[in-house]
Amino acid sequence: MTATEDDATTADVSTPGRPVSLGPAGWLRWGWRQLTSMRTALILLFLLAIASVPGSVLPQQGIDPAAVSQYYQSHPALAPFLNRLSLFNVFAAPWFAAIYLLLFASLAGCVLPRTVRLVGSARQQPPRAPANLARLPASASYVTATAPAQALQQARALLTARRFRISEGDGWVSAEKGYLREVGNLLFHVALLALLFSVGLGGIFGYKANRLLVVGQGFANTPTALDVFRPGRLVGPGNLAPFEINLHGFSAKYVSSGPELDQPLSYDASLTYADRPGTPVRRYQLQVNHPLVVDGVSVYLIGHGYAPIFKVTDGTGTVRWDGPVPFIPVDQTTLTSEGVIKVPDAKPGQLGFAGVFLPSAIDAGGRLASAFPAALNPRVSLVGFTGNLGMNSSQAQSVYQLDTTGLRQLPMQAEPLAAGQSMKLPDGLGTVTYLGYQQWVSLAITYDPGQLPALLSGIAALAGLILSFLIRRRRVFVRATAAADGSTEVWLGGLARSDAAGGFETEFSELAELLRAELPAAAERPFVPERGEVVTPAAAAPAEHDGASAQARASADGQQAAVTDTAGGSGHLGTGVSPVSTVSPRASTDGE
Amino acid sequence: MPINASLGDLSNGLLLVAVVLYALAMLCYASDFAFARHRIMAGLTDTTVAEVAVPELVAAGSGGPATNVTASPPSATSAAGERASRWPSGFWLRLAFGLTCAGLTAHLAAILARGIAEHRTPWGNMYEFIAAFTCMAVLVLVAASVRYRAYYMGLFVMIPIVFGLGIDLTVLYTPAGSLVPALQSYWIAIHVTAMIVAIGLFIFGAVVTTMYLLASRSVRRLAADQPSWSAGILRHLPAPAVLDRLSYRSILFAFPVWTFGVMAGAIWADHAWGRYWGWDPKETWSFITWVVYAMFLHARATAGWRGRRAAAIQLIGFGCLLFNVIGVNIWISGLHSYAGMG
Repeated sequence: MTATEDDATTADVSTPGRPVSLGPAGWLRWGWRQLTSMRTALILLFLLAIASVPGSVLPQQGIDPAAVSQYYQSHPALAPFLNRLSLFNVFAAPWFAAIYLLLFASLAGCVLPRTVRLVGSARQQPPRAPANLARLPASASYVTATAPAQALQQARALLTARRFRISEGDGWVSAEKGYLREVGNLLFHVALLALLFSVGLGGIFGYKANRLLVVGQGFANTPTALDVFRPGRLVGPGNLAPFEINLHGFSAKYVSSGPELDQPLSYDASLTYADRPGTPVRRYQLQVNHPLVVDGVSVYLIGHGYAPIFKVTDGTGTVRWDGPVPFIPVDQTTLTSEGVIKVPDAKPGQLGFAGVFLPSAIDAGGRLASAFPAALNPRVSLVGFTGNLGMNSSQAQSVYQLDTTGLRQLPMQAEPLAAGQSMKLPDGLGTVTYLGYQQWVSLAITYDPGQLPALLSGIAALAGLILSFLIRRRRVFVRATAAADGSTEVWLGGLARSDAAGGFETEFSELAELLRAELPAAAERPFVPERGEVVTPAAAAPAEHDGASAQARASADGQQAAVTDTAGGSGHLGTGVSPVSTVSPRASTDGE
Repeated sequence: MPINASLGDLSNGLLLVAVVLYALAMLCYASDFAFARHRIMAGLTDTTVAEVAVPELVAAGSGGPATNVTASPPSATSAAGERASRWPSGFWLRLAFGLTCAGLTAHLAAILARGIAEHRTPWGNMYEFIAAFTCMAVLVLVAASVRYRAYYMGLFVMIPIVFGLGIDLTVLYTPAGSLVPALQSYWIAIHVTAMIVAIGLFIFGAVVTTMYLLASRSVRRLAADQPSWSAGILRHLPAPAVLDRLSYRSILFAFPVWTFGVMAGAIWADHAWGRYWGWDPKETWSFITWVVYAMFLHARATAGWRGRRAAAIQLIGFGCLLFNVIGVNIWISGLHSYAGMG
């Protein structure tokens, strides 16, 4: 499950085919190996990506319930089927949970053993240097007049100064560096697990709520006062922070000319709040992107609209309704809004009204329309109904919709009302007066204790990611042996255990050059290595990339030839000419 | 503050200049492939190997404690030679690179002028966003050209850039304007900038990977003695392994930036909407993109998957990215629907 090449390779190797006969324990081990293999992780990642797609294409219950009902209406046959597959609630679906839980199980199964191994390797010394350093992906050699022990001593000092971890033995030094890469890699994966837990924490102990508030009104943060209340699994009514909020004003500014006409510029809600009943009241200007945080709970401004004020007097002369009625915008650019007034107590008959509010009414070809979102010329047109509103039935009703079955439409004037105008209802049913308008805001109230842990996990994941991308784990070995003529042959070999992006060759050749420069040259004889001095990864091992091998091999040959030509075998190593020989061509063409 | 219309017009003009310069640069890169004889199989000839190898060593050494290496005679001479070879060689390539840099300057100036005209970070709608991430892609091209001598990528990167900017200027053009309240936050400078940087790098990575796939196919065909029609162009490219590594580098850079961008977006979403993650279509697709690129990183480190399979996964990831940037804005409505396209 990680980007470490060697681990990945072992994981692949250790994924066997179906075993022939295994006990229950063997089957479990086999299953666990399958689950934690890189291939399974890749497939699960792929499934996770695929499974997310319907969540963005189909309307989702948790995001836009209205769109889901809309979908039910337009696709009556398909919708129930999709619903059975949880496709309207993808991110809470059991099969979605199955994918990510399997993925995280696979991740944990990969990360935990590696953590144990990392702790083990942190205490371990680098391994003994291989006998033939020329076989390693990067190698270099030279002859020096220094004694072997001293040459090794200098190599050791050089590598120690570069913060390599050192171990040494008879005639060799081996060094390793870059343990932080694995630490970063593990940190990233563990942080992802922590992120999942943080999200779960918020889902269990947090809550989300919505409240529509007309200017002049206030509410206390209790479940009954909230329009929508979605508590986490372990949240009870007593867990809500008991703050109170009162809305005193709201202003919205819009672009009033030019190509961006109607575009909102700012929303500003003036409110006062108290942490709990009886505590001092404070003011706050609530704006988009500037939530109010009170007692650990955040309050957001997420919507606004108009609430025309009506007075409804019934046939007996009793005022049955007097106050603002929030209308819902049906056109976000001009804020044309619709709403209903229900007066079930009216006598002699129940009254209901469906209304349209136009903030800036204009005559658009014989039809009324709103030209601008601000209330420059507010008008309300109403259609009245009488009959049984059905509010005594057990079925829940929306306050924003009028069910006209069982209602009779009243013949009424079509002319929309301006503020202060009244309309007499026929048959002595009463009068309705439009008194003016008020504005409302909708507030989102959220409490999410998983927020901070999620943020910290995210930061840790990012830090781990960067660490694991920046650092490579590499080993450098040095061997020094005394030659027959009293000089010393020094061999350097190196390999990067994780160097997917390259760059180790540069570091290695730099090290080799540094060490060579420190050791006095033995100029009296040219050093001719037994096995050929230039060993390049492309030439020594089959190239890892398709099609690359032929080319790379050709180029490696070319380079060897070039080196031999320029140096001419005239003691170039001893006289310090050719650091080029240690650089493999793959890195070179790459420019690293 | 009112929008400065004349500066907005200046920005439009500068962007147009940039597109024209890029188009000319594209032609010059193509001419370099057609007429320059100096670099057949650039990455494979031993001269190129020698050219690059020594100076890299010096560059690395001069940064470390080992100044004595640079002082040694052979290294010093090759260092002088390197200073020349970092830059493009040959008439057409020099001209192409010069035009690229000039275009980039005009492009940057256009973005700057737009920002000053609007008194805000100029990435508030689709038009500005595309102008910004194409600029980043050219910036990556220039940096990779100098740093990794990836001048051979010029033609292939310029094709989508010119195409994208052309569509941006004609179809998606939006006059300079102000931001809706939801976007009025300093987080736009953090979240959207990170996304722009990441997308620029992802574009470069995707183009290089496409060339990697074509080049590795061409190499196979050449080995089988059945050269494909594109072999003539592709022989100007370095070995597939070099392309693979270059692309991987850009993804290694882009992926953490993208991760950061998604996280910054989550923090902003928490500020603006009251939740840090809500599976809004844009969020969902940035998650999908992230997952597919994570797959690529894992695949590339897994035996049996690296090479062409991993490259294919990267291209799928880029497809998801493109859909997120363009498709989601056009076809799916959500909280991020303020791109000025409905």
